[in-house]
Amino acid sequence: MKIKVTSIYVDDQDKALRFYTEVLGFSRKNDFSQGPYRWLTVASPEDPNGTELQLALNSNPAAKAYQQAIFEQGQPAAMFFTDDIKADYERIKAHGGEFTMPPTDVTASIIAMVKDTCGNIIQLTQLTWNR
Amino acid sequence: MSERAQYTPGPASGAHIEKDGDKWTLVIVRELRHSSEKVWQALTDPAHLHEWAPFDADGNLGVAGSTVKLTTVGAPTPRVSETKVTRADAPRLLEYNWGGFDMRWELEPLGSGTRMTLWTNIGHRFIAMGAAGWHICFDVMDRLLGGNPLGRTVGPDAVKYGGWQKLNEEYSELFGVETLKPPL
Repeated sequence: MKIKVTSIYVDDQDKALRFYTEVLGFSRKNDFSQGPYRWLTVASPEDPNGTELQLALNSNPAAKAYQQAIFEQGQPAAMFFTDDIKADYERIKAHGGEFTMPPTDVTASIIAMVKDTCGNIIQLTQLTWNR
Repeated sequence: MSERAQYTPGPASGAHIEKDGDKWTLVIVRELRHSSEKVWQALTDPAHLHEWAPFDADGNLGVAGSTVKLTTVGAPTPRVSETKVTRADAPRLLEYNWGGFDMRWELEPLGSGTRMTLWTNIGHRFIAMGAAGWHICFDVMDRLLGGNPLGRTVGPDAVKYGGWQKLNEEYSELFGVETLKPPL
């Protein structure tokens, strides 16, 4: 058994695809539709056969309420690791990404938070503890 | 040999795309040798839909103003959309929304049969796949109404089927879009 895919709810899959590819820099991995159902995943070009992130349409009222509540609390819905958070921060900002927290030192890491334009906050993390 | 094994769909035909800027609408016209009343029942009655449509309905779609839950058949995770029937003029015109797709069905008498037209807005990327899927669904509906059922062929059953793959390529060519090959 492997952890191959994890999901994030988004309010618009086309908009999400634009943010996760053009702004964050991931690549479209799987994109398949059946009627209104669309299975859409992205992967990191640094690990193209690694874990995929599913951009799942949030059509579930319970999930919508949860998504909105944690967004309002400023809690990230997903977390990605980087080796150079300052460079990624500048690159993502240059592509129009809106940060709610610039790179900030916390215990054992530097973190930053960016809005994904689809109802979520994404945390970027660079570990500092094992250097 | 089963009915389905003997079935080969005809070539891609009777479909085109209406483009309004970025919004594309798939238009499919099909001539059926069945009366509009019979076709109307196939489009609205849950027991009929269960035999041919890509979704199951928990109520009759033929009542304007009613709310019906539509479940996409064969989706990898449950996809249920609540729809409101916005227009139902039996046996001529039916309008509702299937999980973000506007669905407009028009039936016109054609001799003793019916000319059926479907307008539906599908994303550019999936429009040929959608046309191929509906093509097979309409064949299945036609045979069902003719008393010679093939069995519903949607979702994974359709995608694995060679006839669907050929139609997907043909409709892609007809519409001038890239052929998208889904994972099998």
